Amino acid sequence: MEQLFNIDFKRFNSLNEKEAADRKKNFELFLKEGLPNKKNENWKFSDLNYIITKNFKNITNNDDYKFQEKIDLIHDFDHNKVILVNGSLKSSDLHFEEKGKVKIETLKSLEGFHHQSKNNLDYLNKALSIGGFNLEVQQNYKCKKPIIIYNYFTANLNNKIINNSNKIKVRQNSELTLIEYNICEKSKFIKNTFEKINIDKGAVLKNIILQKTKCNGYFYKSISGTQDFNSSYQNFILSSGLKFNKIEIDMILEKEKSSCHILSGLNLSTEEHQEIKTQINHLAPNCKSYQKIKKVLESNSKGVYQGKIFVKDIAQKTDAYQLSKALILNDQAEFNAKPELEIYADDVKCSHGSSSGSIDEEAIHYLMTRGIELKAAKKLLINGFLNEIFENIPEDKIRIFLEKSIAVQIDEIR
Amino acid sequence: MKSEELKNQEYKYGFTTQIENFKAPKGLSEKTIKFISKIKKEPKWMLDWRLKAFNRLKVLKEPNWQKPKYPKIDYQNLYYYSAPKSMQEKPKSLDEVDPKLIETYNKLGIPLNEQKRLSGVAVDAVFDSVSVATTFKGELDKKGIIFCPISEAIQKHPHLVKKYLGSVIPISDHYFATLNSAVFTDGSFVYIPPNTRCPMELSTYFRINASETGQFERTLIIADKGSYVSYLEGCTAPMRDENQLHAANVELVALDDAEIKYSTVQNWYPGDKDGVGGIYNFVTKRGACRGRNSKISWTQVETGSAITWKYPSCILQGDNSVGEFYSIAITNNHQKADTGTKMIHLGKNTKSKIISKGISAGQADNTYRGLVDIGAKAKNSRNYTQCDSLLMGNKCGAHTVPYIRNKNSSSTIEHEATTSKINEDQLFYCNQRGLNQEEAVSLIVNGFCKEVLQQLPMEFAVEAQKLVSISLEGSVG
Repeated sequence: MEQLFNIDFKRFNSLNEKEAADRKKNFELFLKEGLPNKKNENWKFSDLNYIITKNFKNITNNDDYKFQEKIDLIHDFDHNKVILVNGSLKSSDLHFEEKGKVKIETLKSLEGFHHQSKNNLDYLNKALSIGGFNLEVQQNYKCKKPIIIYNYFTANLNNKIINNSNKIKVRQNSELTLIEYNICEKSKFIKNTFEKINIDKGAVLKNIILQKTKCNGYFYKSISGTQDFNSSYQNFILSSGLKFNKIEIDMILEKEKSSCHILSGLNLSTEEHQEIKTQINHLAPNCKSYQKIKKVLESNSKGVYQGKIFVKDIAQKTDAYQLSKALILNDQAEFNAKPELEIYADDVKCSHGSSSGSIDEEAIHYLMTRGIELKAAKKLLINGFLNEIFENIPEDKIRIFLEKSIAVQIDEIR
Repeated sequence: MKSEELKNQEYKYGFTTQIENFKAPKGLSEKTIKFISKIKKEPKWMLDWRLKAFNRLKVLKEPNWQKPKYPKIDYQNLYYYSAPKSMQEKPKSLDEVDPKLIETYNKLGIPLNEQKRLSGVAVDAVFDSVSVATTFKGELDKKGIIFCPISEAIQKHPHLVKKYLGSVIPISDHYFATLNSAVFTDGSFVYIPPNTRCPMELSTYFRINASETGQFERTLIIADKGSYVSYLEGCTAPMRDENQLHAANVELVALDDAEIKYSTVQNWYPGDKDGVGGIYNFVTKRGACRGRNSKISWTQVETGSAITWKYPSCILQGDNSVGEFYSIAITNNHQKADTGTKMIHLGKNTKSKIISKGISAGQADNTYRGLVDIGAKAKNSRNYTQCDSLLMGNKCGAHTVPYIRNKNSSSTIEHEATTSKINEDQLFYCNQRGLNQEEAVSLIVNGFCKEVLQQLPMEFAVEAQKLVSISLEGSVG
C-alpha cells in the first residue's frame, strides 16, 4: 500500500503543525488496513483494492486547480451556478436567490464528519481532504431556482487522487434542489468524497447526481445525513459513465414524518462498475422511505446494490420499500444485490423486491411485429425501463433534461 | 386451555433417562478421535480422513459473522463420544435393549415395535450416538435399498462411503463442518439403487441425552439414477441448563433423474423463558444435484433450539436440475434463528424456489440469510424467492439478508420479502366467531405457514401444525 501511494503533504498550503500531524496520523491509520477489499462485508461485491491496484501503479495527491477551459453550461433551464475544479470550490453565482438566504463557501473544518460505520476511506479522506463546499439555506427560504454544481475535473489528473468533503444544511422549512453535474476530461484519477447533510424541520432537499460524459474516474462518495420532523430528502443517482463508482448513503430519520427517497437509473457499459449502498435508519414512528434502483448492464459491466432498512423498536407505522431491478444484456455482465431488512418494530409495512434478467422477449416480439426493428425495439424498452424513475421529478424542464441525458447514453448501446 | 396456563406449560419432552453412559475422554484431541474411530471399529482410511479434518481444524477459526452471538464454546470441556453402555455388544433383538431406553422411545412415540410397523415408517433411532435398532430392514433389503447407521456403512459399503463422504461438504469447508468430519459419531446412511422408488418415508429421530455431550451426526444420502427417496428428520431433547452444541453434517447426492426430499422438524430444547440453557444447533446441510434432471427439496420447520444456525443448500450442477427450500422458523422468548439457504446454479436450465416464513415473538431474533448465485454458464436458469416475516410485539426482530448474484443474461432472479404483524381485522374476525386470542393467532399463523406445511409428508404435517401452535404459546394477549 505504501508503494502505491506517493503522497506529498507539502502540497497542502498553509498547513499548521497540528493539522499536519493530524493528517499524517490519519494517513498512517489508513495505511494500516489499506484500501477495502472483498473480505470486508461492505465491499464484498466491489473489491476496491483489486480495482485500484489493477488500474493504478503510483498515486499522488493533486495540487493543481488551474482552470482555463470554458465549461459547457446547461441551457435547458435557469439555475444558479457553482463551479468546483478538481474538487475545490472555484466560484459561485447565486443571482436568482435573495441576498444572504443561500450561502456557499469553502469548507474549512472537518468537524462533524464522524462516521457510524468504520470505513478506511474515511481516514484517507481526513488525511488528504482539500475541503470542498459548505452550503447553507436559511430558514423559511425556498430557493427559486435549482443550484447546479459543475464538478469539473481537468485533463492533467492522471494517477491523482482527490479527497474532498462537503456540508449541506437546509434549515427549517427551506427548500433546495441541488444538481451535481460531473464533467471530466480524459485523465484517469480517483475521487474520494465525504458529504454531510442536515435537513431541519419541514425542509426539503432534492439531490440529483448526474454524469455528463464517459469518464476514466474511480469515484467513491459517502453521504451521511440526518432528518428532522416532517423533512424530506430525495436523491436521484444518474451517474452512468464512470469506470468505477460507489455511492454510500446513510440516512437517519430522527424525527416523525420524515421521508427519504432514493432513486437511481444507471446504464453501464464496457468495464464499468457501479455500486449503490444505502442504509436508511428509521428511528422515529411514521416515517417513510422509498428506494428504487434500476440498472441496465451491458458488455462486461457490473452493477451492485446493497440496501438496508433498519427499523428501531419505537419506529411504529414505518413504511419502507426497496426495489432493485436489473436488465442484463450480456453474459459477461453481472448483477449483485443484497437488499437487507433489519426490523424491530411490529406495526410496520416493510418490503423489498429484487429482480434481474434479460429484456422480455415477448415485448420485443410485440414491437417487431409492429414494424420496429430489433435494435430500436431494445432501445425503446430500455428507455421505458429507466425513465420510470423520473416520474417523481415534478419540474418539467429538469425532467426533460434528465430524460434527454439518459437518451444520449442509451443511444450508445450497440 | 387459558393462555396463562399455556404460557406456563413446561417443555413436554423434557425428561432425562438415567442410563449409564460410556464416554470418550474429555476434550478434543487426536486421542479422542482415535478413541472414537476404534470404538466404531473403523478401517484405517476412515481414521486418516478424520485426522486430516482435525489437522485442518487447527488452522480454521470459528466464524463470527452471524447475527446470533453465543458465549465462547470450550471445545476441550466437551465429551465427543457417549453411548448407552448396553450397546457395547450389539443387541440381537429389541428384548436385549435396555428397557429404560425403550421406555424413552415410547414416550417420544417412536414406532420401534411391531404394531407401529403399520404406520409405515422405518426408523433408525439415534440415542445420543449409537443407532439402537433399525426396522423394516427386510422390506428395504428386497429393493436393494441401504438404510443403516453410517458406522455400519463404513464397514459394509466402504466403496460408497469413500466415494461420496465429503464430496458435498469437503472436510476443509468451515469450522463446524470440519469439526464434525473429525469427530462425527453416528448418523444415517441411505443408498437408493438406480430406478428404485423408496416404498416408505425413511425417518430418524435424534435425541440428545447425555449431559455435556455435543452431538455430531453425519448423514449421507445417495439417490442413484432415476430413484426417489423421502427422508424425515425430527428432534426432541431433554431439558437441562447447560448449552449444548450440536454440529451435524448432512450430505445429499442426487444423480441423473433422481429426487431427494428431505424434511426436518426441529424441536430441541430452546432454553427457558429467560433464555437460560437450550441447544446450539449449528448444522451444515448441503445437497448436490449432480445428475441431469435431478431434484433436491429441503423442507424445515424450526421451532426449537436456543440458537439455530443453518443453511440447507443446493448445488445445481446437472442441467435441468431443480432445488427447493421451504422453511418455517419460529422463535419465541430469547431464541435466535439465523437460517436460510444457498442455491448455486451451475448447470443449464436449472431452477430453484425459496419460500421462507419467519415468525418472531417475545425477545427473539429471526434472520433469513440466503444466497442465490447464477453462474455464467447456467443459461436459462430461474430463481424465485419469497421471504415473509411476522412480528409479534416490538421486543423481537425480523431480518432479511438475501445475497443475489446473476452473471447471466438469459436467467431470471426474482426476490420478494415482506415484514408485517398479524392483521387486526383477521384477529377480530376469528374472535367474533368464538375463537380466543391464542386459538386465533395459531390459526392465522398456520395459514401464514401453509405454503411450507403442505410440503411436508402427511405424518409430519400434523405434528408440525401442532408444533407451530405450541411454539407461540404465551406470546400474545
